[in-house]
Amino acid sequence: MHKAKKTVSTLGIHIVLLTYTLIALWPIFLTIINSFKSRKAIFRSPMSLPGIDTFSLKGFIKVLVRSDFEIYFMNSIIVTVATLTLVLLLGAMAAWALSEYEFKGNKWLGLYLAIGIMIPIRLGSVSLLQLIVDMNLTNTLTALVLVYVAQSIPLAIFILSEFMQQIPKDLKEAARCDGVSEYTIFFKVILPLTRPAIATVGVFTLVPVWNDLWFPLILAPSEQTQTITLGVQQFIGQYVTDWNAVLASLTLAIVPILIIYILLSRHLIRGITAGAVK
Amino acid sequence: MIYPLLDSIRLSLYSTDGSGTFSFAGLANYIALVTDPQWSEPFWNALLNNFKFFCVHMFVQNPIGIMLAALLSLPKLTGRTTYRTLIFIPTMLSVVIIGFIWQLILSPLWGVSETLLSFVGLTDWFQPWLGQEGTTLVTLSLISVWQFVGIPMMLIYAAMLNIPHDLVEGAIIDGATHWEIFWHIKLPLILPTIAMVSILTFVANFNAFDLIYAVKGALAGPNFSSDIMGTLFYRTFFGFQLQLGNPTMGATIATMMFMVILLGVLLYLFILQRKLRRYAL
Amino acid sequence: MSDIQLKNIDKAFGKVEVLHDVNMNVKDGEFVVFVGPSGCGKSTLLRVIAGLEKVTAGEIHIDEELVNDVQPRERGIAMVFQSYALYPHMTVYKNMSFGLKLKKHDKQEIDHRVRHAAETLQLTEYLNRRPAELSGGQRQRVAIGRAIVRNPKVFLFDEPLSNLDAALRVQTRIEIAKLHKKLDATIIYVTHDQVEAMTLADKIVVLHDGRVEQVGAPLELYNSPANLFVAGFIGSPKMNFLKGTVASVKGTTVEISLPDGKTITIEHDAPGSENDQATVGIRPEHLLLAGPKEGLLKAEVDVVERLGDVSYLYCKLSDGTAIIASTPGTSEATTGDTIHLTARIDKIHVFGSDGTAWK
Repeated sequence: MHKAKKTVSTLGIHIVLLTYTLIALWPIFLTIINSFKSRKAIFRSPMSLPGIDTFSLKGFIKVLVRSDFEIYFMNSIIVTVATLTLVLLLGAMAAWALSEYEFKGNKWLGLYLAIGIMIPIRLGSVSLLQLIVDMNLTNTLTALVLVYVAQSIPLAIFILSEFMQQIPKDLKEAARCDGVSEYTIFFKVILPLTRPAIATVGVFTLVPVWNDLWFPLILAPSEQTQTITLGVQQFIGQYVTDWNAVLASLTLAIVPILIIYILLSRHLIRGITAGAVK
Repeated sequence: MIYPLLDSIRLSLYSTDGSGTFSFAGLANYIALVTDPQWSEPFWNALLNNFKFFCVHMFVQNPIGIMLAALLSLPKLTGRTTYRTLIFIPTMLSVVIIGFIWQLILSPLWGVSETLLSFVGLTDWFQPWLGQEGTTLVTLSLISVWQFVGIPMMLIYAAMLNIPHDLVEGAIIDGATHWEIFWHIKLPLILPTIAMVSILTFVANFNAFDLIYAVKGALAGPNFSSDIMGTLFYRTFFGFQLQLGNPTMGATIATMMFMVILLGVLLYLFILQRKLRRYAL
Repeated sequence: MSDIQLKNIDKAFGKVEVLHDVNMNVKDGEFVVFVGPSGCGKSTLLRVIAGLEKVTAGEIHIDEELVNDVQPRERGIAMVFQSYALYPHMTVYKNMSFGLKLKKHDKQEIDHRVRHAAETLQLTEYLNRRPAELSGGQRQRVAIGRAIVRNPKVFLFDEPLSNLDAALRVQTRIEIAKLHKKLDATIIYVTHDQVEAMTLADKIVVLHDGRVEQVGAPLELYNSPANLFVAGFIGSPKMNFLKGTVASVKGTTVEISLPDGKTITIEHDAPGSENDQATVGIRPEHLLLAGPKEGLLKAEVDVVERLGDVSYLYCKLSDGTAIIASTPGTSEATTGDTIHLTARIDKIHVFGSDGTAWK
């Protein structure tokens, strides 16, 4: 009798989780399957999978022809990769300095970072824009990269320095005793050991940057410099009644990030769980 | 990085007459924002909407997140990683995409929502929620909740994993049911994490812009019912349609947002963090 | 207080078998110790009795009732964990009363029980403190108190002294022994420390690789180990094992030759045949110094450890086997000395090639 009770409660748990998973995934699923259907099929039977007679790539063709989707995509990639590289490099070095060396103002720097993480950079947009204008960098990808690096560095330094502090002192001391220069220690010893944290920071930086709408809108809205997120938003605004095209553009925007996510999901989850238990 | 912030604050102390000349105005902008009907009506409206937005997140998103985390952290649960990975997917996607997908789904033209509701027998319940003044904000809030549940779920899940298994077994022997274990043992021990999740929700909500802008545009209609501080700021600073951009008032609004967030953060750091001790586990 | 019976218990985690055909009884009021090296399955056996794990096969009876499918809370057991498992956010009082509150006992009754247990364990002045404010020994007593308060049929202790320092361990060991007498409780106690087993137990169950090697009173295991494993596990320093060969068999009389050629004679029912291998076991404390003629063994001294009340002589036999001899007081032997050792015949153990005791 007790066994039956247990099975029921396990079943109940799975029902709840399954229900929520369905709720979470179904809208996305719906979008993707409908982007491959003809307009009539979209309206007539939205929930069914694209069949032989309903399959259509009309929407995708329109998106690729009518918009500079390839350019948006490239822009997103350039901005994201550049930001990622700089954030990881500078962030790791700063985290190393912070966790390793005693220097005056260590505490203040820590506080500065804490505030940097909690208070969003968007609030300074007014002056940021002014700054960018003064530097003649409006409508450039450079502007975006600079801003994103500033935005992502505090969190990167925070996560990385927490991780670096956990590296046993003995390792570092042994390397120093071997007469190795600080730079070499950094690149050959520390970085490899913090790989999981770096992966985490990578994902935490990549996702908001790729998905951001605000800064591309404010700093680089020109046709040539639009990122995917902005591009899709504008495209949809323009072709709002063309359901095929709209669904297709949404799908094209979803797929890259979904792929990256599935590849990196392990690292991301490990990272969030590690950071939260501070 | 702090420089832009400070500079914004500086700018908010000036006023402009539309021709590009700036003159120092002290706190005049702030006073106008709060009292002058031309500014204060939208301001208080946006602020109130932000609070509503926040409340929906606090009372819907976080409890669901806690519940999912509690279920996922139960020992011997098959498929735990799969559930986790899948439920987190919406969080990874761009807000723009999410916003638009839901717009399509909730659109009366497509009829998908009506069909779904008919499965549950609630066909008459359907309304074009995104188009009605009274329901737009709440609907948008729920869409945002749908997207971001993953985050409190993950953070609380991590905190729950940290509870030593011994404690749970001790409670089992003491005679507690799973619900009693959750309520008396796990929940008190994760309160610090819940507090952290709350403040993160607060900061994120008062920063929200992307979703409203993507779905409703800078005017945050209908009739400003979904206007929040972010959209108000954007509109004021850059101008929209008939309204001219006003950089100093924009800066003022941004500074106000900063103040609100700062207030919340300070409250958290100095009051909540002190009171909720992290127990040595 | 109650009886416990385990019949043919098997336990496997997936493909890994942890317990094999375990059979044993615990009588009402007995103090039974499960002892064995790490990984022998003793903790698993305890958890199976508690109900925290389910058996793969076999039956568990508490008080004649089959409890295989009964939840831990309904088995009438209380457990003291190695890590104490105290709820960090509750005071000592709340920790101890938690189980009772869940069962909705009357408030006065709870208070009475908690205070009584606190007094027994000298915890009364700590009732309002949190675990973080207590020392290791105090936390341990709270864990015990939490168990006492529930008036269980059986107390289960899972290596409770492992986290304490040496001095505290001895002290707490004595307190647990006293508690047993005072409460007249049935206790099952798990440890890897054979000293704890020898001093606390009414009955010891020696486990090895998931199997019961021997069950008996402490001195029974010391004097008559059933096999090589038990012989080597009980007693410190370890029993010496010498290579012996069967020299001749006459009926039930067996002559066994030792490494230096001397022989001993024992009686055994099924002694095998000539030239069989056997192991001869002699405890260090039973080896006596002798002259060359009476000596059974000739050894060369390697290292001498003098502890003041006893000396340990680490020696090598002529066939290279390392042995330890212990002599009372301060020994005059030094490295390189050749000594001769003998032992009383009733203190010599012989084990067959399969490890079981012949004598």
